[in-house]
Amino acid sequence: MSMRLTHLAVRHTDTPLVEVSDLHFEPGRPVTIVGESGSGKSLLAHAIMGTLAAELTASGNLTMDGQSYDLADRANRRRLWGRAMSLLPQEPGLALDPTMRAREQVAEGAGSFTTDRRAARRSAGTLLASLGLGQASAAFPHALSGGMAQRVAFAAATIGDAPVLIADEPSKGLDQQARAELAKLLKRHVDAGGSLLTITHDLDLARELAGDVLVMKDAHIVERGPARRVLTEPAHPYTRRLLAAEPANWTRPCAHAGAPADAGEPLISGEGLAKAFAGQQLFSDLSLTIRAGERVSLSGPSGSGKTTLGNVLLRLLPPDTGYVHHAEALHGGRLQKLYQDPAVAFPSRILLRDSFGDVIRRHRLEPGRLGKLMASLRLAPDLLHRMPGQVSGGELQRLAIIRSMLLEPALVFADEPTSRLDLITQQETLSCLMDQADRQQCALVLVTHDDALADAVTRRRIPLGPAENAIDRVKTAG
Amino acid sequence: MNASTTTPRSPAAPALRILRQRAVQAAAVVVLVSTACFAIVQSLPGDIAFRIAAGRYGYDQVTAASADTVRAELGLDRPAWQQLLDWLGELLALDLGTSLVTGTSVAGELGLYLSSSLQLAAAALALALAGGATVGALAGARPGGILDRITTLWVSAARALPPFLLGLVLILFFSVHLGVLPAAGHGEAGNIVLPAATLAVGLSGLFARVTRDTVVQIRRSEYVRFAATKGLGERLVFLRHVLRNTGVTLLSYVGVQLLILIEGVVVVESLFAWPGLGHSLVHAIFWRDIPMIQATALALALLVVALNTVVDLGALALDPRPRRREVVL
Repeated sequence: MSMRLTHLAVRHTDTPLVEVSDLHFEPGRPVTIVGESGSGKSLLAHAIMGTLAAELTASGNLTMDGQSYDLADRANRRRLWGRAMSLLPQEPGLALDPTMRAREQVAEGAGSFTTDRRAARRSAGTLLASLGLGQASAAFPHALSGGMAQRVAFAAATIGDAPVLIADEPSKGLDQQARAELAKLLKRHVDAGGSLLTITHDLDLARELAGDVLVMKDAHIVERGPARRVLTEPAHPYTRRLLAAEPANWTRPCAHAGAPADAGEPLISGEGLAKAFAGQQLFSDLSLTIRAGERVSLSGPSGSGKTTLGNVLLRLLPPDTGYVHHAEALHGGRLQKLYQDPAVAFPSRILLRDSFGDVIRRHRLEPGRLGKLMASLRLAPDLLHRMPGQVSGGELQRLAIIRSMLLEPALVFADEPTSRLDLITQQETLSCLMDQADRQQCALVLVTHDDALADAVTRRRIPLGPAENAIDRVKTAG
Repeated sequence: MNASTTTPRSPAAPALRILRQRAVQAAAVVVLVSTACFAIVQSLPGDIAFRIAAGRYGYDQVTAASADTVRAELGLDRPAWQQLLDWLGELLALDLGTSLVTGTSVAGELGLYLSSSLQLAAAALALALAGGATVGALAGARPGGILDRITTLWVSAARALPPFLLGLVLILFFSVHLGVLPAAGHGEAGNIVLPAATLAVGLSGLFARVTRDTVVQIRRSEYVRFAATKGLGERLVFLRHVLRNTGVTLLSYVGVQLLILIEGVVVVESLFAWPGLGHSLVHAIFWRDIPMIQATALALALLVVALNTVVDLGALALDPRPRRREVVL
């Protein structure tokens, strides 16, 4: 069924967050909205569904199947949910109930669930099996990998046969293979005659989906057209900037800086390392040295053991065999780790100012350095008076970089530091990290599932092969 | 990407681990509580033999001679450590001894006290959960609504009243003023109402508060929102997602509050002359009936361990997530 939006606007008090005059969805033609975080693209999706936060107001009109809906009334579309329009949420790990088995969460989305639970469960089982999740249907969400959880969420969102599917940042945190799987599923929905609206900052996903691309910036759509044209011959300067922010297109000279591989003193040396989980060998007989000032990346798909190898090298996990030696230069906090999600690396109910104050007192640092670092990473000083939840993901990750740089580390270990950030923020954040690493001549180890990113940032890459069946393995956790 | 994996094992393994840990804990509790009780009784002022003789023959009949008889008969003149070792040895042989005052078997009396205490505790807990969780869930459905504000008031009022005071207020109102419920006693159906209500009121406020906050938090969670956009009606979302996840938090909280419940049992039983463990403990202390003190204190301590075990197993059944991360992949 076709869907048309007219004069859509979302406001917070008097600030416009989304202003789109006309949007049209045809069955069989996917629409993808790209843009950076804060451009309003997710709000657009929620305004259509009627799931905006209570403090936001929407206005405009939605026409679907000859029926007209006023977007200001958030309740009038509730009966369409799951049957006529459905939302594939971001972060499937959070969108699945942790206490319910996968098949049950899919079955309850089926139209027959309230009348015939058995039939609903049967069709859920069939749908999951067709997505290659047969054995995962009895698993609880904590035992699913990110890609599997995304497919379970897809099954739950589409089992009610809603013709309109809205996917909100569906590829966040997924590796290339899982993203390709996801794109295939979304296309399957389109090929079956459904309408698809995808909100993403992942240009690769937009390319794979094809169809139309809308580029959104500061509440407005700045460019629209077929994906093939927009993503190869962008007309608007902002679209050009977006494309330039893809790691494969980075041209910064410092991207390949850093000391040559064999120049510096060895900081971390691992000898004959092996680690296995659940009877699965992640790596074995692995020897490597990381030297002062070097830039190394550990890359590979999810489940290949790159984070584990990192944790073994940091001596946070013991290896099954072999040993890890740390040089004297790393002692006293001069080995720092950046985490994937900065929100969990800061205490959530403590002002950032106090968190930083603790680090400065503990290591007897000169307090003025914090201000200088904030300035050089282009962060306003008054950010420190907020809670971690009140600053954006990109800003918080930059604050995490500052926190590790305060200690003048000899080595920074960055574990997927930008996989949750949009392209432009990713580029900004990584160039801040690399600038600081250059300035302090510290070694950088980057863990990433994005090969292009690994090539853009580091000289030396340690690829970790995909573990056998790593993608579809149901974890047996205890 | 980050997830925990371990070698596969049977689903019963975590349950067995809980049972094993709690068994070790129970053994440690037995030794510690027995020794502590013994030490405390020994350090109480007054001559033990005199107090026991008074318990047996009445205050008027107590003379130095009768006290000496008691002392010799019970071996109270032996060194304290010998008496303690004797008790621990008998305990190992599952022999709780005989009451120094009545001369009957402690184990037999303990069984009666335990069952009536359990009755009271179960009734109180059921009342508190039924009332507290229901009110909390309703208040959580409309945060800031009228019911929510009434609940906050109720929680503060219930917390501000200690059980002994609340018990007296209930007796004055229902027994003395209205005359609808008995103030004390045991054996009739109406007897349990007031003591159970006294215990339940304090607990229900806490349960209401925790349920309300958890419901509010879970209703904001991503999985509840996803359940709604999947097409589930409000009632099904509540029954299938909010309720169970609230249960996980509430159950752990009940586990923490059990200690308050057991504490309350001691006070409330004495107040309402309810013949349970708490009541008998107070009497045994008064008469220096050492085996009885030991046995009741031990039973109360083991009751806490047993109830916590039940809570742990219940939480395990409700929430399948691993309790500890063993490895990071």
